Order: sequence, then C-alpha cells, then structure tokens
Amino acid sequence: MLSVGPRAPSSDRMVPGIEIAPGLFLTEAIMEWGHPPAMIDTTFARWNEPVAHNRLLHFDTETTGLAGGTGTRAWMIGTADWLADGRFRLRQLTTTTMGAETDMLRNFARWLRPDTVLVSYNGKCYDSPLLKTRYRLARLPEPLTGLGHLDLLHPVRRHWKGSWENCRLATAERELLGVVREDDLPGSEAPAAWLSYLRGGSAVNLRRVMVHNSQDLKSVAGVLLHLAGLPS
Amino acid sequence: MNALPDRYASDELVLREPGDGRTLAQRLSKRYAARITGAFVVPGRDGSFAPLPDDLPTALAQALRSRGIEQLYSHQADAWVATQSGAHVAIVTPTASGKSLCYTLPVITAAMTQHAKALYLFPTKALAQDQVAELLELNQAGDLGVKAFTFDGDTPGDARQAIRLHGDIVVSNPDMLHQAILPHHTKWAQFFENLRYVVIDEVHTYRGVFGSHVANVIRRLKRVCAFYGVTPQFILCSATIGNPKEHAEALIEDAVTAITESGAPTGDKHVLLWNPPVVNPDLGLRASARSQTNRIARLAIKSGMKTLVFAQSRTMVEVLTKYLKDVFDSDPRKPARIRAYRGGYLPKERRAAEREMRAGTIDGIVSTSALELGVDIGSLDVVVLNGYPGSVAATWQRFGRAGRRQQSALGVMVASSDPLDQYLVRHPEFFQGATPEHARIQPDQPLILLDHIRCAAFELPFIGDEMFGTDVATPWLDVLGEEGVLHREGDRWEWIADSYPAITVSLRSVADGNFVVVDRTNGRQTIIAEVDYSAAPVTLYEGAIHMIQSVPYQVERLDWEGRKAYVTRTHVDYYTDAIDYTKLKVLDCFDTSNAGCGQAHHGEVHVVRRVPGYKKIRFYSHENIGFGPVNLPDQELHTTAVWWQLAQLVLDAAFEQRQQALDGFLGAAYALHIVATVAVMAEARDLQKSVGSGDGAWFVSADVAGRGQIRGTDGQPVALAADAPFTPTVYLYDAFPGGIGQSEPLFSRREDLVAQSVTLIERCDCRGGCPGCVGPVLAADENAATTPKALALRVLALLVAL
Repeated sequence: MLSVGPRAPSSDRMVPGIEIAPGLFLTEAIMEWGHPPAMIDTTFARWNEPVAHNRLLHFDTETTGLAGGTGTRAWMIGTADWLADGRFRLRQLTTTTMGAETDMLRNFARWLRPDTVLVSYNGKCYDSPLLKTRYRLARLPEPLTGLGHLDLLHPVRRHWKGSWENCRLATAERELLGVVREDDLPGSEAPAAWLSYLRGGSAVNLRRVMVHNSQDLKSVAGVLLHLAGLPS
Repeated sequence: MNALPDRYASDELVLREPGDGRTLAQRLSKRYAARITGAFVVPGRDGSFAPLPDDLPTALAQALRSRGIEQLYSHQADAWVATQSGAHVAIVTPTASGKSLCYTLPVITAAMTQHAKALYLFPTKALAQDQVAELLELNQAGDLGVKAFTFDGDTPGDARQAIRLHGDIVVSNPDMLHQAILPHHTKWAQFFENLRYVVIDEVHTYRGVFGSHVANVIRRLKRVCAFYGVTPQFILCSATIGNPKEHAEALIEDAVTAITESGAPTGDKHVLLWNPPVVNPDLGLRASARSQTNRIARLAIKSGMKTLVFAQSRTMVEVLTKYLKDVFDSDPRKPARIRAYRGGYLPKERRAAEREMRAGTIDGIVSTSALELGVDIGSLDVVVLNGYPGSVAATWQRFGRAGRRQQSALGVMVASSDPLDQYLVRHPEFFQGATPEHARIQPDQPLILLDHIRCAAFELPFIGDEMFGTDVATPWLDVLGEEGVLHREGDRWEWIADSYPAITVSLRSVADGNFVVVDRTNGRQTIIAEVDYSAAPVTLYEGAIHMIQSVPYQVERLDWEGRKAYVTRTHVDYYTDAIDYTKLKVLDCFDTSNAGCGQAHHGEVHVVRRVPGYKKIRFYSHENIGFGPVNLPDQELHTTAVWWQLAQLVLDAAFEQRQQALDGFLGAAYALHIVATVAVMAEARDLQKSVGSGDGAWFVSADVAGRGQIRGTDGQPVALAADAPFTPTVYLYDAFPGGIGQSEPLFSRREDLVAQSVTLIERCDCRGGCPGCVGPVLAADENAATTPKALALRVLALLVAL
C-alpha cells in the first residue's frame, strides 16, 4: 500500500533537459556507442532481411508499476538510435506532471517513421501494449502497430536460458557486455521515485532513474549488436 | 422399517392410463390428505402469436423457419417492436417461454445489417455456453455470418485477442466484465466503439449484495461506453419477481419498457404443498423430506410422467438419484431412465443430459438449482422440490419447469425441517396469493460504492464534478486521494497506485476477505470451501463441525489473520452451533412509530458480536451434548436495524417475572427473524437478530434450556437489580457493514411482520416451542402458560397494532 504521509516539499526539484511543453522535459545526448555495421544481421530473430542501423529505434519506458490494465502509465519514454554517421543518440522524454503525458506521446510518435524498427527488451509484452493503451486513453492515433519490433528477450532466452541464473537485462549486459553498474537505482523503484516527485518530493531519485534508463538503452543496443554478431 | 407396506401403498396410486398432473394431484390429495397443507391450481393459458416481423432480415427469417419457427409468441414480437424503437427493454416471462429470441432477433439483425456488436451477461458460465451453442445453431441454419464467443475465465489467452477483434456477440458474466474487460477496455476499443446492445439475462439473480455490485459494474460499463462515444441499448430478462421493471431500472439507472405478458401457451398447473408426517410430537420431529420426495417422484415416474426433482445440495442430488436408480435402472442392459444434473459435472456430461431430456429418453432427472435458470431441457410433467428453495420467486421458477401446452402439470413442494420450510408449508396462502418477492439492490451502499469508484478511477480518470451513478464522485475521490491511490492534478483525478483494484473486489461476497477452508485429511492440502468474513466467527471456530454437502469436517485450527481454517474429515453424530452474544447500541433513530403498547424504530446501530463458545447438538434428536470454548476477536459492525420495544410498565403488568419477559422476547425475536427473512428475500445470514436492553446495558442469549440469560457488556452472566431499568428490545439488523437496505422495508412492514409472527407461532404443531417457531427448547417444559411459545405470543400480542 502506498502511503501519502506528510508531504515535505523538497528544495531539490531540478529535472534535467529542456522543458519542451508544460511539464515535459527532453534530454538528448550524442555519443560513441557500439559502432554498428551499416546493415544489422537479424537472423538471430529469425528475420529474413538485415536492417539498416539508422532504421532502429531502441526504446524503454519507465512506468507507475507492473499491475497492468488501464491504470498503469508510462511517465518516461527513453529512446536510442544510431545516426547516419554511426554515432549513438539517447533521447528521453520525462513528464513531471500527469497532464504532460499527451505531449510526451505526441513527441514520441514524431520520432517514429513508417520504416522504423523498434528494439526493446520485453517490449512486446510490456512497453508496447502499455503505450498502445496510453495512446488510446489520450485519444491519439496509435503509432506502434505495424512497425517491426525486435524484442531481444526471446532470442536471449533461446540462447542462454539454463546457462545463466536468469535472462534479465541486468544479467545479459553483465554476461555479454561486461557492464557493471554502480549506484544503480533498481527499475522496481522507478514508480516510487516519480510518485514522490509528483507529490512535491526531491528529484534526486528521478534523476537516478533517468541514468538507469540511459544505461538500459545502451545495454539493449549492445545486446542487439552482440546477437547480430553471433555466428548463424 | 416399513418400506414394504409403503411401497405397496404408493403403487396403488400409480396411474395405469397415461396420466396428467391433475389426475396425479387428485390421487395424492386423496391418499395423503394429512400431509398436504395446501393445494391450488394455476390456470393455463392459450398461446398468443404474431407473424415474424416484416423488417427482419430475410436470411434471419429463413434461418428461423428452417429451425421450425414460423411465427413468434406475442411477447417476442413486442420485444422486437420495443427494441426497434430504441428503448431499453425488460422481458419478464416464465421459464421456457422463449425469452432468448427476444434479444437474439435485434442483436443478430444489428450484427448483420450494421456490423454492430453485443455483449451478453449471464450469471453462470453454463448458461453462457448454452447461449453460444444456440446462437451458433441459428447462425449455421441461415449462414448468417455472425460470430458469437464465450469470454470467461476458461477462455485461453491466445483466443482472447481474436474474440476482442472479431466477436460480434461476446457472451460473458458480470465478474469477467468487472475483473477482465473493463480494466483492459482499451484492448476492447473496437468492440466498445461498435457496441449496440447489452443483454443481461436472469436479472432476478442480481439482488442484495451481489446485485448492488452488478449495478455498479453497469455504471462502470456505461462510463467506458461513453468514453468510446456509444450509448448501448439494454435488453434485460428476468424470471418472475415482484418488481421486475423497477429492478431493471435500478440496475441500469434508466427508464425501461417492460414486457410482462407471455404469449407462450401453458396447461393448468397443480401445486401441492407437502409436509412430511410428524414422527415425534414432543420434539416436533417429522419424517425426512428426502423420503417423501423419493416417494412422490417414484410414483410420478411409474405413472409415465417426465419428472424433475430439485434438491438443495449436490450430495442430496446424488442420494436421490441413487434411490430412484435403484428402482428404475436396475437392469444395466437398458438405457438409463434416471439422470443427475448439477454443477461440478463436465459440460459434456451436462449437455448429454440436456439432450436426452429434450429427446424424452430420460424419465427422471434430479438437479440442484443449476436447472432453475434457463437451460433448455424440453417439457416436463412433474416437478418435486425437496425443500423450499429460499424464495417464492425461486419456487415458481422451479415449478415453471413443469408444463406442456395441452396438458396439466404438477408441482410439489416438500418441506424440510428447516424453520423457513415449516413456516411456508403452513402458510399455503403465502404461495397462492403472494406476489413474488421484490428484488432489492443498494448500489450506493458506501463500501460497495467506494470499491467501484476505485475500479472506475483505474479505468478512466475522473474529471471535474463527474457523476457516478446518481451522485457526484468527488467526496469519494478525496477519500481515495487521501489513501494515495489517486492523484489530483487540476480537475482530473488519475490512478497512480501500482495495483489492480478489480482483483481485490469480489462481486459475490462482502468486504474484509473471505476465509478458505483447507482440508488436511490424510496429509492433503485442498481448499474445499470459502466462507464469508461475516460468517467465519460463527462457523469456523476451532472445534466447529463444518458441513460441506452434508459431509462433516472438524475445524482443527483457525488462522484468523491468514483467513484460513484447517479442517479434517470426521465422523460424528452431532453438529455445532456457535453461541454468539450480540450487543447493540443505537446510534441514530431515523423513524419511530407505535406498535401496540410499545414502539417500533428504524435507525443506525453499532453491533458488537462475540462468540465465547459453542454447543454440540446431536443430529435428529437435537439434544445438547456438550460445550466448547471459542477465543476470537470481537466483531464490530456499524449498520442499520429495525427494533421493537416495550415499556417497563407494560411488561410489569403482563409478566409476573422478568425472566418470563426475557424468554418471550427471545422467542419473539426468533419468529420475527424467520418471517422477516422471507419478507425481504434475504439470505438468512444477511439478516440477524438480537435481544438486548434498549440502552445497550445488557443483552440476552439463550442458555442450555433455551431460556433467556442476561449478560453484561463483558459477556458474563449478570443478575439485574430489582429496581434496575428494564426495557428489553428485539433487534433485526443488516449483517453487512453499513447496511444493505433491508431494515427500511422491514420497518415499513412492521405491523405485518408482528402479525405474521403471531400466526407462525399459533399454527405451529409443537407444544412448548421448536426450531420451527420460537427456537429449540427442552421437551420437559410442561406448564402451558409459561412455555417459551406462550411467552413469545404474550410479547408479540403486546406489539400487535391496536
């Protein structure tokens, strides 16, 4: 049970990024990450054709929980893609009010092209249906249906189930990419971090979730390249 | 054992010619006049027909004709006209009068001509499956291209998506709508956008707590529909109840056109009320209902009449089936003539039984209430009820199973030893003249309402001063905001918690969590039953004998916090009865009126219930053979009640001793409780009784001998000082937190209730009191002027309207 408790307004309310609409913050960072080949081999996902790297859009949402149904919302959408020159671009849309959700959904839709291929970790079962519900509730056209979607959880399971303790992203990134996170806020604490901010609390954990989400996206991209590079 | 002469005697009555209900009723009445407490005839009626409507799609009309339907009953035609005019419609006609065609025609027509969708809600899965089977047959007959699916807990995950997208008619139940469809309505967006009809069948089953929940689920459904820009038309069907139109309107909170004239032809129906003969006049013991039911059924089947027996439990179905099979199916080489039908059988098995009944190859079927609802089993001649089903409406629904167009049918209600049964069988006029009970719901009952506003807020945010039902939701949203599950931003209340509220709200039970009963016999760990929170303290204490389908289990451990009772199978010749002390305090009196020399009130009370121990009572003889202690927390309840009071002066004049007045009040409470339970169509456990002091200083419970014992607020026996104030009061209260609206109708019928209680006691055959009137008493009481029965009558006489 959530308890509201006394609300002590915090003085640290700083959310990074530019406020592109009331309550909606955009962060953008461009870096070297992964050095993808021009065409990504997708045989690991049993697809027939390789996909040009700049068609890929990695995405990962942070939500208010796992309960499912119409009462769960995404308060943040993080995406990552490789630009034409091979550099890696991380963009995050973070809402600080409930009302900013519609603008977040509109912005995310603009980042999708008809030939975009989504890349996620368990997004087919979790992030994508959740966003479809949110578009429906916001009475916006739903842009996800019809797009290609590489959900890496399933191929990772096929390859390493049984040999790893589990197939969570944190395990995959450690085993395949050697990523070790420091001071990571577990994803399970994301709902509380946002809720606390929403109720006037500190932004500290909100910023930690943003860092966590960035790392997730980098790991998804890394796992993708690893899978694409496996001998078929 | 006098089985032989008995069988010989009843064989004499077997009809040698092909019989009908009238002849059999006459023979039974002649031979068993002393057992028949009431006999009457419901006259039959010619059919009233109408041609198939001209505006029916040709293919549909063709499909109907190919299924042998050349014309409609008048009520089916009326329903067509009403639905085509756009009205919400409630169809109230007897069992097997072709109700489903009333909604099938508009729904299929809309699906064929406008690709409109329909949602059907049935109270049980079996009825939903029947309905889909019927739709598929009609669809096939005319190649109509209409797709109908069931959507319930058994629907596999991979089929759900297809049903959401392609189902023209989705057949489900209120629980699924509540827990699976509404909280995921976005997945059903296409379905909702095209939703034209909502069909709710068997609405008479949606009453009391369950009905109040369902009314709120309908509010949520309408709210979600509004989001998708549709206002579907409701078509409701009900078996006969006292207030079908009002009930339908209460459920959907909108005006409804009621169609109550059935056009289906019926023959005369003969009804007999049957009380088993008294075998022990001292204790008021009668022969078992089972033996009588068996005898009547045997006679009917031997007379060549298709017979249906209703039993109250699954076990009794099996017992009666065995008895009948012993007579009629002794030759295993011949096809079976007797069948059992109940929940817990595989659907396939049930379908086979239905088919065989329709085909007429089965002569006798024994069923639980499973056949009370609209399952199609064709025409029958005789219906025997082994025990009163709990309401006049249900009795008529069951009797409604018997009846053919041309021929008279027979219905026999065999009373069990249950006080309610005994009350009804001795009041034949109750059946004959009675309008069936009113179905009541209380959708704004605070706990239920809050649960559903919670679910509704999860489904769609509340905006501004949005209405939910008949009132603005805002005060409730504030409560949920305080609780932290909603967050307010501007004029919007949005769900914020990581929880799925519908899963914690069960439509069929009350708050505070059910107890599960775990069978640990021989190292097993099987859940064998669920018990409501409110019933747990009086049925699941350690040492209790908990009966499941009349099989006794003993409670070995009760985990109160974990809501579990661990039981093992046992073999004992007694049952247990909790001693519960109830202490009431009046918080607010809404209304008061004179009642004879006393007063009747209606208002809000605070109830504290304690179970300090239990009695062991031997079966059949009902003697008290021991006690056990119980250690449970007090149950507190804030609810509504109706109560009667007599002033000290009046009592002092009428009774020599205060003890006698107390005994009288206990007996009066017992009788009033029986009568009131019948009056409001309540489940006996939803309405409770108590006797106490008007100022809450003490209360009264029955001691070993059935005599009143005054107890103080701590539950210990106390003696009243001779000059202490003495205003005993009898309370009837709603056993649901906050009340579920039973006390108001009871208050308005207060004079009737007292008068009926007097008749109940006066007409009882026992000498000093029995479980059928004022409660169990010891046989030794011989002084006629001061038997509990006489004392109760004295109290009631003082309360009878002047």
